[in-house]
Amino acid sequence: MRIGVVTFPGSNCDQDTLDALDTLGVDTLRLWYRDADLAGADAVVLPGGFSYGDYLRSGALAAKSPIMTAIQEAVVDRQLPLLGICNGFQILTEAGLLPGGLRANHHGQFRCDWQRVKVIEASPLFPGLEAGEVLKLPIAHGEGSYYMDEESLQSLFAHGEAWLQYVDADGQAQSWANPNGSVANLAGVARGSVAALMPHPERAMMDILGSDDGHRLLTAWLCGLERRALYARG
Amino acid sequence: MRGDEVGLNPNEYESICGIMGRSPNDLELGLFGALWSEHCSYKSSKGLLARFGHSGPHVVQGPGENAGVVRLDENLEVAFKVESHNHPSYVEPVQGAATGVGGILRDIIAMGARPIAVADMLRFGTDEKSHAIMRGVVKGVGLYGNAIGIPTVTGDLGVSETYDGNPLVNVLAVGVRRSDARVGAGGACPGQWLLLVGQRTGRDGIHGASLLASRDFSGGDEDLRPTVQVGDPFLGKILMEATLETVSRGLAAAVQDLGAAGLASALAELCHLSKIGAEIWLERVPLRQPGLSPYEIMMSETQERMLLAVSEENLAAALEIFSRYEVLATVIGQGSASQRLILYHNSRIEADVDPDWLTEGAPRQTVDPSYWDALANQRPAVHHPAPSLARDLLLDVLAHPDVRDRFPIYRQYDSMVQTGTVYGPDHDAAVLKVRGSTHGLVLAVAGTGRWAAIDPYAGGAGVVLRVLAALAAQGAVALGLTDGVNAGNPHVKSSYDLMAALFRGVSDAAFAANVPITGGNVSLHNETQGQSIWPTVMMGALGRHSNPLHPISEHLGREGDLIYVVNPAPPNWNGSVAAFLTTGLSSYPRCDLGNVEKLLQAMREWVLSGIPTSVRTIGMGGLAATLVRMMAVSDPSLGVELTLPDEGFAETERFYNEAPLQWVAIVRPDQAEAADEYWRTAGVKMTRIGIVSSQDGIHIANRHDWSRETLLRAWRSLDKEVGW
Repeated sequence: MRIGVVTFPGSNCDQDTLDALDTLGVDTLRLWYRDADLAGADAVVLPGGFSYGDYLRSGALAAKSPIMTAIQEAVVDRQLPLLGICNGFQILTEAGLLPGGLRANHHGQFRCDWQRVKVIEASPLFPGLEAGEVLKLPIAHGEGSYYMDEESLQSLFAHGEAWLQYVDADGQAQSWANPNGSVANLAGVARGSVAALMPHPERAMMDILGSDDGHRLLTAWLCGLERRALYARG
Repeated sequence: MRGDEVGLNPNEYESICGIMGRSPNDLELGLFGALWSEHCSYKSSKGLLARFGHSGPHVVQGPGENAGVVRLDENLEVAFKVESHNHPSYVEPVQGAATGVGGILRDIIAMGARPIAVADMLRFGTDEKSHAIMRGVVKGVGLYGNAIGIPTVTGDLGVSETYDGNPLVNVLAVGVRRSDARVGAGGACPGQWLLLVGQRTGRDGIHGASLLASRDFSGGDEDLRPTVQVGDPFLGKILMEATLETVSRGLAAAVQDLGAAGLASALAELCHLSKIGAEIWLERVPLRQPGLSPYEIMMSETQERMLLAVSEENLAAALEIFSRYEVLATVIGQGSASQRLILYHNSRIEADVDPDWLTEGAPRQTVDPSYWDALANQRPAVHHPAPSLARDLLLDVLAHPDVRDRFPIYRQYDSMVQTGTVYGPDHDAAVLKVRGSTHGLVLAVAGTGRWAAIDPYAGGAGVVLRVLAALAAQGAVALGLTDGVNAGNPHVKSSYDLMAALFRGVSDAAFAANVPITGGNVSLHNETQGQSIWPTVMMGALGRHSNPLHPISEHLGREGDLIYVVNPAPPNWNGSVAAFLTTGLSSYPRCDLGNVEKLLQAMREWVLSGIPTSVRTIGMGGLAATLVRMMAVSDPSLGVELTLPDEGFAETERFYNEAPLQWVAIVRPDQAEAADEYWRTAGVKMTRIGIVSSQDGIHIANRHDWSRETLLRAWRSLDKEVGW
């Protein structure tokens, strides 16, 4: 199995993400935003950063790059497993692969901090991450305020697509635990084979850096990929 | 044009005519005006800088290049330097600060090093305008650093009325390169192509260096706004990647960034350091808008540009890299063996100068040895007696902007990208792991403010010792220092003397510690309407950490652990925040420099011995604030039971004393004897001042009690006036 990590112009967490996946012992390959195909990647990560400098809207320009055409086709044709992190999340909503959108943080500032997030609902994409589990992960973004209208939000929860939520130390989705003004404290969503989150699991790979919960999250994702591959082979 | 229109005085103009054997034309005069400006030539400070110690066993590159370089291990080298962007940040805070970050990052990249860390060292005034400047500057630092993906890992903040109208924005950057991929501005050869890469050249920032940064503010400076540059971190990022790939593949013979004085400075420096001449075809320079004159093209300070020298055989491969990153790259000239920098525009010669005239030919104020010697002399001291210890003063000290938690600032910076930040901005010094090495780096920064207000010598020495003490507290070997000096108008004798004393203090302390200063920056003319700032130096120290995944702790340990001060200074609170809040400015104490190197080494080895549980350097706010900072990262149930060895005013003077080279150490009871023995053998005093208790907060002998909540609320107080 090989995981492709896309470098867009302005991506700045691509190397960190490759390093994290290397730590987990999985084969990786770099994908370039101008590539027209996925070079045989079995799954793809869209890493964090400031693709195209966040000009126009964060993620909007990267969503139109050639590699995204190939990714969109693969998601539709063969349910390509796809994980978006931070700017990757923004690109996925701009590309229409995930619902909702990400707006500027409600306080108007960039925010880099440690944050607790809770798994709202166990997802088949992340076997082993149980509902109610709380992870400590870093955030670093200026445009992370997730938004959708009330009706879509209800549908999101009803379909089990609301995946991660910002919470306080007691695991409660309090408004003061919300770092950016996201609707329903949402930190991550998942739909079909596509999942994305604003926090950075690739930065939380060892205790000495503050947390190894990112290691758990990415391990769960890889485990989901393995299961899927086994299932496909019958 | 006249000399004074480009910032040259009549003597300088005369001397240019003498060197050239004729009068310069307008473009040539502009080149001299830019390159001989204070900002580019360091004409007032070079004589002082020459006194610094620049060499040492770890130094690969001293001053003179885009950045100093030190050796980390057998394969990796580290480039680091501080740069100022004070004047632009006053005129346009967000862009001024953002381009300050971009500018120092390009200096690091020009050495072939990949930036891995940024530190911001800021000084602001206290008036309403200063609050707006502070908000803008912090936004600007984040705007560039966050987007380009270099973590801002540590920093320093100071606030005083002296910086009303003259904020200081100094940024330090650190980068890592392979020792087999060295590059610099000095490697170009005759015949090689000169490649201008990055942003198209526009009319922004013309004369930023010579007119904006090299003269005092006089009020009504809005007319200077067009001299401020605008940053584009997105282009900066892809320019960085393309340049580093070109360097790592060995395709670039020389690299020079375009900063102050744009192409004029970049071409002069590259030719001078490479000992070549060049022919430049200015009509080839890609422009953002048509119609720029040769003069404007040479003086523009458009950001996100680099100059590379590339041989004929490597040209196609280099161009292919820039094309892959969609970064514009254009051959604009060719190196020559002539020692002449000749600027053509549509085949017409527009300027013809020797690059050395512009660089080493710049005037330089010499420093008489007897003047230098006298700079260390004691100044009339201002001392204020301390009152007995009082409850509220501690809370006021903790809430002072120089002391309190910088969290409202640094949470606006990405401090974790690149996943190397083991200790980030919530620690005394940053500890970084480095890809490709088992060694890590420690980066400590600090600046003077009050410390240098009355006795700049004491302040300059103190801040050098402050950052080196922080490296020692991590058991790190000091590799080098970088200095950012900020001062007033050098042509005013009193301002110059204060600045010179600051230099002398820095120099003496660095020599005493035997640590080289590998590069830095001088920003002068920080004056508004004849009022100079306190001479202010921002120091950065870089150290090698042998075990970055196991940095020494900064917490209180556990109940029953013993609290010591290693190398306690005599009770003397002068120059401290507490003294300032109580009685106003006073003279920061001078430190005995006789034993510095041995003391730092003893601390470093003690930390590595594993005897202490935690060590933290005493800094702003003295012992009192240092204990609170340790408490903030400890088990919330723990507190400190103090028994200070003095009474009355001396107790106060010990509690708030900010004298350099003192450390708080936490030692387990079963290690107490070993600790005693170690420091007795080393001949250094170690005083037990208390014990870690299960009652949270600070408690002094049943006379004073502050709860943890009270202390942390004061220390973490937000600045409502700033709006955070």
